[in-house]
Amino acid sequence: MARILLVEDNEMNRDMLSRRLTRRGHTVTIAVDGRQGMELARAGGYDLILMDMSLPEVDGWEATRLLRADPAVPRVPIIALTAHAMAGDREKAIAAGCDDYDTKPIELDRLLGKIATLLGNPA
Amino acid sequence: MTTPADTAALSPEAAATLRHDLRTPLNHVVGYCEMLLEDAADPALAPRRAALEQALAAGRDALTLINTSLPGTGRVVPLADLAALRESLRAPQQRILSAVTTLLASPDADDGFAADLRRIRNSAEGLGQGLATRGPRPEAPGADAAGPATHTAPEAGGAAAARILVVDDGAENRDLLARRLAREGYAVAVAEDGARALARVAREPFDLVLLDVMMPELDGFAVLERLKGDPATRDIPVIMISALDDVASVVRCIEHGAEDYLPKPFDPVLLRARITASLEKKRLRDTEVEYLRQVSRVIEAASAVEAGRYTAGGLSDLARRADALGRLARVFDGMATEVRAREERLHRQVESLRQEIEVARRAGAGATVADHSRLPLGTTFAGRYRVDDVVGSGAMGTVYRAHDRELDETIALKALRPEFVNDAALLERFKTEIRLARRITHPNVVRTHDFGECDGIYYLTMEYVEGITVQKLIDTRGHLGVASTVAVARQLAQALDVAHGHGVIHRDLKPPNLLLDDAGLLKVMDFGVARLAERSATITEAGLVVGTPAYMAPEQLLGEAVDARSDLYAVGAVLYECLTGRLPFQASTAVSLIAKLLKDEPVEPLGLTAEVPPALGALVLRLLAKRPEDRVQTAAELGRLLNELG
Repeated sequence: MARILLVEDNEMNRDMLSRRLTRRGHTVTIAVDGRQGMELARAGGYDLILMDMSLPEVDGWEATRLLRADPAVPRVPIIALTAHAMAGDREKAIAAGCDDYDTKPIELDRLLGKIATLLGNPA
Repeated sequence: MTTPADTAALSPEAAATLRHDLRTPLNHVVGYCEMLLEDAADPALAPRRAALEQALAAGRDALTLINTSLPGTGRVVPLADLAALRESLRAPQQRILSAVTTLLASPDADDGFAADLRRIRNSAEGLGQGLATRGPRPEAPGADAAGPATHTAPEAGGAAAARILVVDDGAENRDLLARRLAREGYAVAVAEDGARALARVAREPFDLVLLDVMMPELDGFAVLERLKGDPATRDIPVIMISALDDVASVVRCIEHGAEDYLPKPFDPVLLRARITASLEKKRLRDTEVEYLRQVSRVIEAASAVEAGRYTAGGLSDLARRADALGRLARVFDGMATEVRAREERLHRQVESLRQEIEVARRAGAGATVADHSRLPLGTTFAGRYRVDDVVGSGAMGTVYRAHDRELDETIALKALRPEFVNDAALLERFKTEIRLARRITHPNVVRTHDFGECDGIYYLTMEYVEGITVQKLIDTRGHLGVASTVAVARQLAQALDVAHGHGVIHRDLKPPNLLLDDAGLLKVMDFGVARLAERSATITEAGLVVGTPAYMAPEQLLGEAVDARSDLYAVGAVLYECLTGRLPFQASTAVSLIAKLLKDEPVEPLGLTAEVPPALGALVLRLLAKRPEDRVQTAAELGRLLNELG
């Protein structure tokens, strides 16, 4: 099962998603803002990052861009999470360096499918 | 009647924000319901499942409604559509709330489950708050009763509603304006005349004042003048409202500091635009003022560090800012913390040294000095110094405590043995050296006063220090603790840094030359004195070796060029002895000692005392390097390295 870094500022989203992922056997580490997310990502040890895009301090777009620009950061898949579901968000996320994109409300099975695909073990 | 709200629309940006604000609580409802359903797979929990599915379905319905009214395509949304959306969201909201109420009432709801249900309930209740403040509200009072809990809410996301004071003597105008502004989501207060307005402003904070010009007694101009004349209120923006639609009034208002001016009857769209603009200006100004206030906190903190009053973490709230000021605060706090930690470390080290001195003094009290005195106690020497006591005796002569009658001061007087002063050329060199040494003024250096001769006895006078030598401390304690050793080392490095800066090499640093007073202050004695002994410090005249070669650098023993690094070698030997209680090299005869000193490597201090930190052990060995170029190069560098040891 995967070691997942969840970067999400909303307490309820964090609680919900981390509990649901943990229940599916994943190990979840939590960061509450973009800055903390980047710190943890830099330290490494994760298979995949779930990155909320609207974050305080450093937003998800910027955090992703900075992580991807830093050759010292382990290159692990990043899935962007956004509540906006605005046209163009997906392209923007990919352009920022995300590998995939999902919208809230999270459909867990859909998200788990994306995680499995990115980690090379299709569900 | 057509209100501006009926014709107005939400910009694409505002619509996107609203869409997000509405969807977020529903996402929580849906997510938690799904999660709780996964937990309720047990057939025995079928009733629970049914209620959760009801809430889940209602949440999804509400999301569909929002997606339809506010599609994520970035188009303008008429406010009228929002009113319809608000109405349509009530039904799913009620379905969610009723399902949660049922579940919470059931006896099998444990604490964790109930906590999750309350989260769902809070999210459902929060739904529609965005609509409540942005969209038009029903005119009839009480129409909100069935709706979600409402509150006067902010214009721009998250912050408290802007507070506006409406000042007008006309009841009708006042109420109309107040109602309209309240509907826009502002927190509104009213005042019916100028005096009440000023009293209110003095009592409560306001973000904006709407001020009628024509009022009895205190008119709008007078109120404006007072508001703008008082430093406490002058930053509150004021918009003047008056029927006096003439240029002179406008000019007068602006001259008195009003932010804006609106003619009556006012155009509501213009009113809203001007209020928004004034509030935004105020917000920017407040931000600027706040920023400057925070900058001054950093400056104050800098003064506090200087005065030793800074508490680490004192800027932690500032340090969380994402801007340059936050970065400055973080860097500053880090530096201040480091300085503080260093000071505390230093304090601990000196304190540890002080305690060792205290113990040694108690243990060694009464130890007498062998009296090789040639100066009778109680007599006056050189017509000036009353010889009071013998305080030390060494290869070069005897040290007395004496009273300088001329200056009425206690001094140390060192009478040199004749064999050191019978060479005229050497004596000249010695005098030169003493002249240099007299220039050194430093708390860690025993001050040299004078050099003279009387009745064939050459003597030196020096600052008198009440204390014990490091030699005695080692003899009594066996060896010194790490902290105490570092305290000695730091002070030694400082003394040498200053002396070397004056071009004075000590040449004979060793524990008997290092004095410690009761407070742990180290004083280095005999700067330059060793010049006299240079010729004696050779192997051929072993009996006359000054001090012991154990502290001498190889190049010094070999009679080669001596420089600051030779002193640093001696520091290494002193520290080695402090830490371990033994010399780097030990031998039974002087010749074999010198042979070892030139060839052998010293045993790791770490190998002798387990408590020596590896970095300190390595530093001591580096000081003891055979070749000067392999040692720490300057006393200043040694000081820095000691600081880094932590």
